[in-house]
Amino acid sequence: MSLPEPILTRVWDANRLVLVSVIAILAPLTALIAERGSAQLVPLALALGVAAFWHLTFSLIRNRPLGWDGAVIAMIFVVLVPASVPLWQQGLALSFGLVMGDLVFGGRGRGFLSAATVGLAFLLFSFPVTETAPFGTATVIAALGSGALLLYARILSWRVVAGFLAAMLLLSIAMILRSFTWPLPPSWPAEPSAALILGLVFLIGDPVAAASTNAGRWPYGFLAGVLVFLLGHSGQDILPSLVFAALLASVFAPLIDQVVIWANTRRRERRQRSV
Amino acid sequence: MEFRFRKGRDFDLGPAPANKPAVSRDIRAVGLMAQDFPGVHFDMRVEADEHVRRGQTLCVDRDNPDIAFVASLSGRVSKIRHGARRRIETIEITAEGNDDTRFDIEAALEDDTALRALLLQSGAWVGIRSRPFGRIPTASARPSAIFVTATDSHPLAPEPAHVLAPQMDSFTRGVAALLRLTEGPVFVCQAFGPSLVEPGERLRVAQFSGPHPSGLAGTHIHHLWPVSSHRSVWQIGYQDVAAIGDLLKTGQINSQRTISVAGPGLSAPALVDAPLGAELSGLLGGGHTDADSALVRLISGSISSGRATRFLGRYDLQLTVLNKHEHAAQARTALGRLFEKLPHKAIGATVPSEAFERLFPFDLLPVPLMRALAVGDVESTERLGGLELLEEDLALLSWRCPSGSDYGKLLRHVLDKLDEERAT
Repeated sequence: MSLPEPILTRVWDANRLVLVSVIAILAPLTALIAERGSAQLVPLALALGVAAFWHLTFSLIRNRPLGWDGAVIAMIFVVLVPASVPLWQQGLALSFGLVMGDLVFGGRGRGFLSAATVGLAFLLFSFPVTETAPFGTATVIAALGSGALLLYARILSWRVVAGFLAAMLLLSIAMILRSFTWPLPPSWPAEPSAALILGLVFLIGDPVAAASTNAGRWPYGFLAGVLVFLLGHSGQDILPSLVFAALLASVFAPLIDQVVIWANTRRRERRQRSV
Repeated sequence: MEFRFRKGRDFDLGPAPANKPAVSRDIRAVGLMAQDFPGVHFDMRVEADEHVRRGQTLCVDRDNPDIAFVASLSGRVSKIRHGARRRIETIEITAEGNDDTRFDIEAALEDDTALRALLLQSGAWVGIRSRPFGRIPTASARPSAIFVTATDSHPLAPEPAHVLAPQMDSFTRGVAALLRLTEGPVFVCQAFGPSLVEPGERLRVAQFSGPHPSGLAGTHIHHLWPVSSHRSVWQIGYQDVAAIGDLLKTGQINSQRTISVAGPGLSAPALVDAPLGAELSGLLGGGHTDADSALVRLISGSISSGRATRFLGRYDLQLTVLNKHEHAAQARTALGRLFEKLPHKAIGATVPSEAFERLFPFDLLPVPLMRALAVGDVESTERLGGLELLEEDLALLSWRCPSGSDYGKLLRHVLDKLDEERAT
């Protein structure tokens, strides 16, 4: 049998997906460099080098063509990592994230975790991070812009974002109603900060780590929102609470998907009996 | 019953032939291609170079010798092309003379068994496909329902209501004959508008609107009468139904179909009356020189699920004409050129996106299904509803998926495996 050739040109392929993600992460990255000065370029170069090294190594070992996803992961890592962390710790954490979060599974799309989340979680677990440098207004605006771009390209699911915001809103209202004060640590900014938006867009909203069914995206986003809220109110800084919430939520994402699959199968079986 | 879909996608490929009257063009050759019939092994009943009448049996299915494949044109068997393991791939006929086969229809008008025999003998049976598995049904199979697809959402497809208008009488007679093949209902699935047939106790009319794939049988069956390993349905195209009606009136097969010839590579789209399996270059008509044909790609079927072949596929009602250099022209921007230079990943893993759900008007979960197909997980595919689908239903997902997988082909592997398991 002759193989049918692709007749309809594909709009999306792996490279274009990376390209859109790079454009999205470049905006906050540029804003950050503008704010913190060119010293920020050193960790960026290091991160890109580490990502290139691991991707090259794995593509040689596995004899697979090279992917470009590593660059995106490295940039997300650089944007979110606290500036005070020594470079060797950054490199080690990113290596761990790339290898254990992504490459051991066979590359992007085959694992169930976001590599940047795994790397950041490793860093926060292993090394004490004293202070997280605040983000400026430009970064907030840039983060909003990249979120909008990813939503438009449907790389980021609006259902995840809506679930996340719903959880935040509901918990805040509940606290106000019960006049229950559970103070946030002073390092938490009052208004939605760049870290929160970046974490939501690039860590929690990573399509590979999130639930992969429409019905599952709501509870996934909601769960992540609740976790961020609870971790934040139990005295964590904003970055650790985001990272650990993203990690926990993505561990639960396959379970959420399984429940959705189970419900879908059951519903279809019932319908098949009724008609 | 009315269904309005919002999920799916239409492709703009320029003007469709719309409601022009059908013209006929000089078709010099037709071909019967094995690739249109998964699971069928041709067993020849004629020799090479033999003269055949229209409606004469060319070959049968080796495993179900009742199923006959007939000549759609009177002529000479000019070529029998073999593929791997001496399997017959294409039977070509060159037009010659005008001899017809006359079938005895008296018994078929009364007796249901005789009707089946007539449909099998005259090649009309081949127009039916059963779900699950998308095979030609066996001679004794009794479906739980039959679906007549009288709507077509493929880009540039002919307009069923327009094509059927002069053949309403045949269509009604064909539908009446289908009612005698099943104890279950017969669904006529059409676009919004006046009913094509008068609904009855077992004859039901369902109307569909929305972007492609709202006009595919898979979508209709999923929403009206979902199939499973325990329940099968048949699907048949509207022109095949009208042809059955003609057969039952005249005793001669109607192998002419109204084909839409359109696409970006063609200035004047047209509706063409042509025999089944017509040579695609012949469908383009006179005025086209070899130099012109070198510049275009001829696709049997639509841009979403068609394929580049020499002859029109058995179930295809359109010829899509594409420019050969179109794809190259798109990448002329600087960014595009840079992009082309990047190493392309081999077939990778899919990255989930809401976009898949927006293209898939089924109550099935696209990403888990695509993942199960990508790893060839037969059991999960079955559990996720893979049995309800055929290749064409997944064409849009393959188009949107960044991994580069062809899920239609993957589904075919899984379906073949499941069918094998069932048979043993």
